[in-house]
Amino acid sequence: MTPLFQVAKLNVRAGKFTLQDITLTLNHNDYLIILGPTGCGKTMLLETITGLRKPTNGKIILEGQDITYHPPENRGLGFAYQDSLLYPFLTVEENIIFGAKAKKQDKNPATLERLHNLAEAMQITPLLKRHPHSLSGGEKQRVSLARAILINPPILLLDEPLSALDPQTRYAMRDLLREIHSQEEIGIIHVTHDFNEALQLGSQLLVMNEGKILQQGSPLEVFHHPNSLFVANFLQCENIIPGEVRTQNGTLTFINEARNWVINYLPKNAYPHGEYVDIYLILHAWQIKIANSLDLSPRQPNSWQATVKKVILHSSHVEIACSGKGNWNINASRNEWQKLDLQVGSTVTLSVNTEDVHLIYN
Amino acid sequence: MRNMDLRLQSNSSLFSRLFIGTFWLIFTITSLFFIGVILGLLSYSDLATIRQVLQYEEFRYAIKFTLLTSIAATSLAVIVALPCGYILSRYRIPGKVVLDTLIDIPIVLPPLVSGIALLIFFGPLWGDSLAKIGINVVFSKLGVVVAQWFVATPYAIRTFQQAFNSIDPRLEKVARTLGYSPAEVFLKVTIPLAKMALIGGIMMSWARALGEFGATAMLAGITRMKTETLSVAVFLNMSIGDINFAIATAVVMLFLALSLLIIVKTLVKNEVRL
Repeated sequence: MTPLFQVAKLNVRAGKFTLQDITLTLNHNDYLIILGPTGCGKTMLLETITGLRKPTNGKIILEGQDITYHPPENRGLGFAYQDSLLYPFLTVEENIIFGAKAKKQDKNPATLERLHNLAEAMQITPLLKRHPHSLSGGEKQRVSLARAILINPPILLLDEPLSALDPQTRYAMRDLLREIHSQEEIGIIHVTHDFNEALQLGSQLLVMNEGKILQQGSPLEVFHHPNSLFVANFLQCENIIPGEVRTQNGTLTFINEARNWVINYLPKNAYPHGEYVDIYLILHAWQIKIANSLDLSPRQPNSWQATVKKVILHSSHVEIACSGKGNWNINASRNEWQKLDLQVGSTVTLSVNTEDVHLIYN
Repeated sequence: MRNMDLRLQSNSSLFSRLFIGTFWLIFTITSLFFIGVILGLLSYSDLATIRQVLQYEEFRYAIKFTLLTSIAATSLAVIVALPCGYILSRYRIPGKVVLDTLIDIPIVLPPLVSGIALLIFFGPLWGDSLAKIGINVVFSKLGVVVAQWFVATPYAIRTFQQAFNSIDPRLEKVARTLGYSPAEVFLKVTIPLAKMALIGGIMMSWARALGEFGATAMLAGITRMKTETLSVAVFLNMSIGDINFAIATAVVMLFLALSLLIIVKTLVKNEVRL
């Protein structure tokens, strides 16, 4: 089956900044999240896909057709920026059918029916006759989405759609995006700098920095197995430990200043170099198990003793900082924490499952 | 110690009062001076004389001629300023600083100097060639339009450029993705978004054309009932001692300028904000 959308070796230049060899594929019903820090070229990539910027080389293919040099008005892609960008001289209704008006279909009964169905689904029917300046941030964003979707685009491109919203509106909007994706059956490319959005919405994830793609995969795969120090840091991995790998008594061991770790495999990209130094062990806070020092023997592989240094309570979990053979950040559920009955200064046993140990070669 | 602190505090508060007090004084005197100048002009004319002057053929010619030439010059200025203002606002072009400064030249140049430059351009330089195709600019009615256009256009370009600068280009980009060509985006998005600021710019340019004298006098000459705009009429009649005519014309010009200013201020105040 032909993929819905493909970008192959796309290069774009803007002043000194360049997007380099961007390659991605979007299948029907995919929800692709492009994740990266501010200024990494995410918006530039979206603008090139929509035709607002010209690439220096590479290909953009939509439903098997090469659209690399088609003007934006002939691509029919839906595009919504972070800050809604509604036309202040039009009502909400006129804003939504603005795309249909370009094709002289704004008076078409089918268009009007679609307008009302969309307005109903997005809960903006009472706003249709109002002007954008009287809407809240969340309402504006919903209108902006409705405007982008009304033209029945095969792909919807979203530039940080949730960033400018307050937390409550953001949750509602996130659910709405999920609903739109399943009901409209369109491919979505959503750029963001927030990894939580990737986990909550994405079926595919692509991490970018400085105009390059660093990693692609499912959000969980990338989250569990970041392939570089940058990705691990950007995904806010709480425990990143530098060291090297050696074989000790026939067992692969990750060694750093504080302690040795039993590991199952070497990082894939370390092999070609034939050396096992400059390796980082990556552990998420929830991958370290915490137990009362009496409950678990520290002689088990990958377990050691530490002291509780700091405890921060969150609504959903407890963040614990421990010190012992290095500094460790651990997350525990509130329930788990209550059962442990520990305080700052208590001695605990920390442990990690060998299969959870992830190594990267930087 | 405490007493010293209090004394320092009271000194600083006295200085603040003196400082703001001086500002208020200068502001009040300046405002009163401007009001005094306007009222002085109004008090020197009476309604009966103005009414009488309004009936004069010469005055009627001058006002009709001024309105026609200034509207023509402003329209031509708008036609030029829309693309120029847009290009300057939206595109990075080599030598933009030089072009930008060139546009400012007619604003800072004394109108008499602009007039001499135009006279040389349309006289010795290109006069003969233009005459062959039936265009006579020097000492003609067309010269008045050209002089007014030359002085008004930079204002139009500058205000239009600022109007376009104030629009987020992404609003235009969204319209492209919604199916509009660049020309359609300009007409259906850019112009409506900049409408109020553009009208403000047009009014300012028109006001400039209405009151133009120096460049007009140099290029089109000062000929009664031929190249006689309202400004020229004031000058001509002052020079022959017909004070009543000159003042009545000046009062009419004052009201025209005031009306334009009120329109501009109202438009700016009611401008639709993003």
